[in-house]
Amino acid sequence: MMLALAALALTAGPASAQQASPAGNVANGERLYVQVGCYQCHGLAGQGALMTGPRISRTTSSYQGFLARLRHPVNQMPPYEAAVLSDQDAADLYAYLQQMPPPRDPNSIPLLKLAR
Amino acid sequence: MAEPESAALHRRRFLKGMVVAGGATIAGPPNVQAQLAEKRTGNALPPDAAAKANERERPPEVERLTTEKTGSDFMVDVCKSLDLDYVAACPGSTFRALQESFINYGQNKRPEWLTCLHEEVSVGMAHGYAKVAGKPMAAIVHGTVGTQHAAMAIYNAYCDRVPVMIFTGNAGALNERRPGVEWFHSVQDAAATVRDFVKWDDYPMSLQHFAESTVRGYALACAQPPGPAFIVADTKLQEDPLDEGGQGRLRIPRLVRPSQTAGEANAVREAARMLVSAEAPVIIADRYARSQAAMDDLVRLAELLQAPVIDNRSRMNMPNTHYLCQSERSGSLLAQADCILSLEPVDLFGQLNAMRDQLERTEILRTKKGVKVISISTRDLLVHSNYQDFQRYVGADLSITADAQTTLPFLIEAVQRQATSGGRNSIAIRGEKLRDAYNSFTERARAEAALAWDASPISTARLYMELWELIRNEDWALVSDGDFSSRWPHRLWPLEKHYRFIGGPGGYGVGYQPVAALGAALAHRDAGGRLVVSVTGDGEFNMAPHTLWTAAHHGIPYLTIIQNNRAYHQEVMHVQRMANRHNRGVRNAHIGTTIDNPNIDYVKIAQGYGAVGIGPVSDPNDLSQAFREGIAAVKAGQPALIDVVTQPR
Repeated sequence: MMLALAALALTAGPASAQQASPAGNVANGERLYVQVGCYQCHGLAGQGALMTGPRISRTTSSYQGFLARLRHPVNQMPPYEAAVLSDQDAADLYAYLQQMPPPRDPNSIPLLKLAR
Repeated sequence: MAEPESAALHRRRFLKGMVVAGGATIAGPPNVQAQLAEKRTGNALPPDAAAKANERERPPEVERLTTEKTGSDFMVDVCKSLDLDYVAACPGSTFRALQESFINYGQNKRPEWLTCLHEEVSVGMAHGYAKVAGKPMAAIVHGTVGTQHAAMAIYNAYCDRVPVMIFTGNAGALNERRPGVEWFHSVQDAAATVRDFVKWDDYPMSLQHFAESTVRGYALACAQPPGPAFIVADTKLQEDPLDEGGQGRLRIPRLVRPSQTAGEANAVREAARMLVSAEAPVIIADRYARSQAAMDDLVRLAELLQAPVIDNRSRMNMPNTHYLCQSERSGSLLAQADCILSLEPVDLFGQLNAMRDQLERTEILRTKKGVKVISISTRDLLVHSNYQDFQRYVGADLSITADAQTTLPFLIEAVQRQATSGGRNSIAIRGEKLRDAYNSFTERARAEAALAWDASPISTARLYMELWELIRNEDWALVSDGDFSSRWPHRLWPLEKHYRFIGGPGGYGVGYQPVAALGAALAHRDAGGRLVVSVTGDGEFNMAPHTLWTAAHHGIPYLTIIQNNRAYHQEVMHVQRMANRHNRGVRNAHIGTTIDNPNIDYVKIAQGYGAVGIGPVSDPNDLSQAFREGIAAVKAGQPALIDVVTQPR
């Protein structure tokens, strides 16, 4: 019954600002993030979840790497082909993910100091 | 004075009269019956008992209507001879005599009768109870329909290899059945519905047979590997009078608890040799530990070998505060391992291989070639054909059919004998590396927990840490599975004692969580009043919300936190996967999978069942106060529910 959607390994690759990425519409990316169900596996804040999908907020992957994994995931993630998500939609999503707020420093959160 | 007729004959004649009357009533069409009924009401008084007896040629001075002792009393004697503290049931006429005997003749003590509102709860709470108490309790289910209701819970207990004593009633002889409903609730083979997923069943034909089968069933249920036992209490055996002579001939066998199987000595020595000579041994613990002593043994073995342990959480196997508990590194550990020791695996194939859930399914080996696999398990001792819980076959290099918990002390001894001083040095170096790795992944868990810390809906990490702050100084127990909340309790909380965590669900039948939590909370209450917490999904909870009534009615305090993502979220992802696979987009994936519009008011549900209800909580900053109130209610002896609106996972 468990799905192991350990998929969009977008944080794995190094940042590649040189690679061309089409201009993305952040507002549309935010809308798409919910509409096409990214949040179901990766969380509404792109935080990821252990058994469904990794963190994708502020992805450091190149756009090309992002798109390749979206179209043809190497792992358990469902494929998003152009028929359901255009290249422009993908660019909008990418733009939205990149501008997500930075995570808080765990050391700044008193409760997390109580973790084992 | 006429000789009293035998009870059996008396009963047969009585029922014969009932059949004639019933048949006449059923024969006419409904409209005619209605007219006749009106006419009778106007013209005649109902016959008194004497007249009825005369009509049946049974004068009242002869007809015997009461008895002081019945077969069901003896059945209670049998149950009292076993170590059964509770019997849970939703009432049903097929065990009416047994119920009456338990509550009156048995004085409702050991076992005490617990009222459940669904048979799935009766069995499921026994499942959860056994995992904490370390012994079975009983559930009694109604004939046919009650067994059907209970089936999923029985399957979960079977898959989880947990002992449960299940009884059902059945009117076996047709001439003993009341016309109508009792026929619907009678069956030729009462266990047939569940035979594929119980360890043993029987339909005793006499009270002596009942005694022996019940004691045998209890012993078999508890023997490793454990499982549910299913015993049919025939209604005639229950209800027939039991005279002194008959009772005097009955014997209740003594319950003998057999010692459990340990691995064959040569095989254990070979396992020790393989582990000691390995450069990268890994231990996987699955359905292994039934006690604190077993956890301590696993720590001892891991330390001797300086071998990392992957705890698959089917049981509380390894303290996660120990640096050798490295479950979160399972992927890299298995990829590097040259020898794997698997203790009571649930799915060894799935542990060693991955399968891509894409249009074309492909398998990926997770280990390196040449890795040696040792399995110590009782799984081959309880395998049925139909239900496929046995998983894919794996030919281990050394397969020891034995109870891993019983075998481990012998394995430790063998490892101690085989370890050389030179080997000990390399083992110590291995241990240092593992300490460093342990520290890194605890830091990683904290960093990941911070990612959506302030989000609303609330992140599951925040939920668990807000809760942790308030329970960490209590004697607490978590009676739910953290797999659907990113395993945060295992990643963020220290789980160092066996009773801290209940383990996994068994067959993944949805609805296990609230019912197992109820039974587990009962066992924890009896163990001295631990603070019991259950975090359950909204989909799970909706299968059995009335567990809260049973908890309120019987004074079983525990805190239920609804991890409310307003969906059968696993199914959302499945439908989404199919939609993408078919290139149709996911816009309709919510149809049939989400639980909103309207949102369910869990607070009202809890209050309606007599529990404390708090929430819904959507702002993470409100969590602490809600938890404080819920914990206060639980400490005051009440069941409490807090509805927390969360991220999907």
